[in-house]
Amino acid sequence: MTAPRVAPSLHGVLRIIGWVGLGLIAVAVSLSDFLATAPADATAVGPLLAAPTEVFRFGTDILGRDMFSETLHGLADTIRSALPGALTTLFAGALFGFVAARMPRPFALGLRGFMGIMAAIPALLLAILMIGLTARGWAGIAAGLSAAPIAFVRAFERAQRQERAPHSAYARATGISAGTLMRRDLVYEFTDTFLSSAARALAAVTIVLSTVSFLGFGAVPPHRDLGLMIAAAKPYLLHAWWTAAFPAAALVVVILFARLAAGLDEGERA
Amino acid sequence: MLRFVAREAGRLALGLIGAALLAAAIAGLALPHAEDGLFSFLFAWGRTLDAFVSLDFGRSAISGEGAFADVWQRLPLTLGLVGEGFAIALVVGIPVGLLFGAGPARRAASPIIQIVSAAPIFCAGLALAWAVANLLGWPVTLDSGIKSDLALWPRDPAQLQALLLPVLTVGLAGAAAAQLALRRAGAEASGEAWRVELRRLGLTAWDIETGHVMPRLIAGLLAGLGEVMLALLSAAAVAEWVFNYAGAADLFVKSVALHDWAVVAPVLFAFAALTLIAEFVGRVAAHPLSDRGGAP
Repeated sequence: MTAPRVAPSLHGVLRIIGWVGLGLIAVAVSLSDFLATAPADATAVGPLLAAPTEVFRFGTDILGRDMFSETLHGLADTIRSALPGALTTLFAGALFGFVAARMPRPFALGLRGFMGIMAAIPALLLAILMIGLTARGWAGIAAGLSAAPIAFVRAFERAQRQERAPHSAYARATGISAGTLMRRDLVYEFTDTFLSSAARALAAVTIVLSTVSFLGFGAVPPHRDLGLMIAAAKPYLLHAWWTAAFPAAALVVVILFARLAAGLDEGERA
Repeated sequence: MLRFVAREAGRLALGLIGAALLAAAIAGLALPHAEDGLFSFLFAWGRTLDAFVSLDFGRSAISGEGAFADVWQRLPLTLGLVGEGFAIALVVGIPVGLLFGAGPARRAASPIIQIVSAAPIFCAGLALAWAVANLLGWPVTLDSGIKSDLALWPRDPAQLQALLLPVLTVGLAGAAAAQLALRRAGAEASGEAWRVELRRLGLTAWDIETGHVMPRLIAGLLAGLGEVMLALLSAAAVAEWVFNYAGAADLFVKSVALHDWAVVAPVLFAFAALTLIAEFVGRVAAHPLSDRGGAP
């Protein structure tokens, strides 16, 4: 006798699409040096500001750089900076928030209050402030830390709900220690939400990181991530759309797949 | 109700005190030797707090003007952008939230809303600028690098065109947050058992929707006011940069780049205070509505 097959929900299908998309992006990033037709920041590869053609599929920029190759290199730079940032959000936000909720009450409430204040400041401004206090090389970590307060608050509230759940009451009544209960809940939290929290953190960090780069606080030339590429294309955007459109499209695709993988609602904040 | 308001007011007061402490810590970095070690920093923080109490917010290291005066001069433009963006957010967000909240309309609009949600604000702003310049022939300058003032109450079509781009950018960011708050409230209300009970009591669908569901939706929107404000402030920072307007967010970006911490602190405090106040107002206004909307 075989188990009945359950059709996956639309939500489940979208999450699979998101993970497959992120996987393809990871492959493109790891092979970017082979897939690109020109090395990173190679100038005078083609004519200046040439529109997309058979030879230069994404066109060229003001320095004659091949936009296809530059977009691939920029994508690789963005992802490489965003990954440590996403891990920072995951541990300093989601995991710490869950553990903090089980700390002694005054300490937990103090931490929650502090993180609530940090969450009231736009993540973009928080990231800019942190980069200003450290260095542009820390942009990825700063983006991760700036996205952490929101992740902390979410995890804290989820942990509090679990603490009030019937299973916690039964566990306490049967003499199971608070530490054992926390370890049990943490394992479930980790296995149930780790992947979606990681994808959500990646989406949030990519948005913040590309925006700080666009504002001049992120990648340092000659390393150009997608945000910096779009910033450099701003003066030519109105008559050479391809210089900004392809890096922007690559950025949107990364964030879209990360949002889908995280199972976020339409319009939900990453 | 009074108890709820008092509790929320207490939370707001604590939040504002925390934001002031944070701002004082940042402003303290402007004092000499503040970065020499932990004790020097704590001493500078204490001195700044003391100065804050006597309403002395320090001086800008760049302009030499009082930091508060510098920020006060730029804040109206940002507040104007946020205010007008909020109006756009409601005008766009409420119909989108109501129309595409459930059923086949939601499924049809879902891919488009997902893609729009995935676009960072600066990409949306640049796309908007390209579209109005190339499709509508409006004069758009992205490359001047010269920061200008913005007429928040336009008197001629040229001023209106200049205003619309940043306001639309900010408003659309707020609309995403507003429609989400509405859709969530709608999804919650649609699963409530009291809807069936009210039908059994003889109420028409219209009575249930207007008398019981609508207050819940408005309460949901109000409860998400803090999120909407956060989205508007982030978008204002980007819009000022993209369209070259000299607002408080632009001042913040420049001041951080130049390590002018005395100016950074009041901007940060103002933004945090705006979000905390929006959260407070939203929660207090939502409270009676969410009570009213439930089962009779």
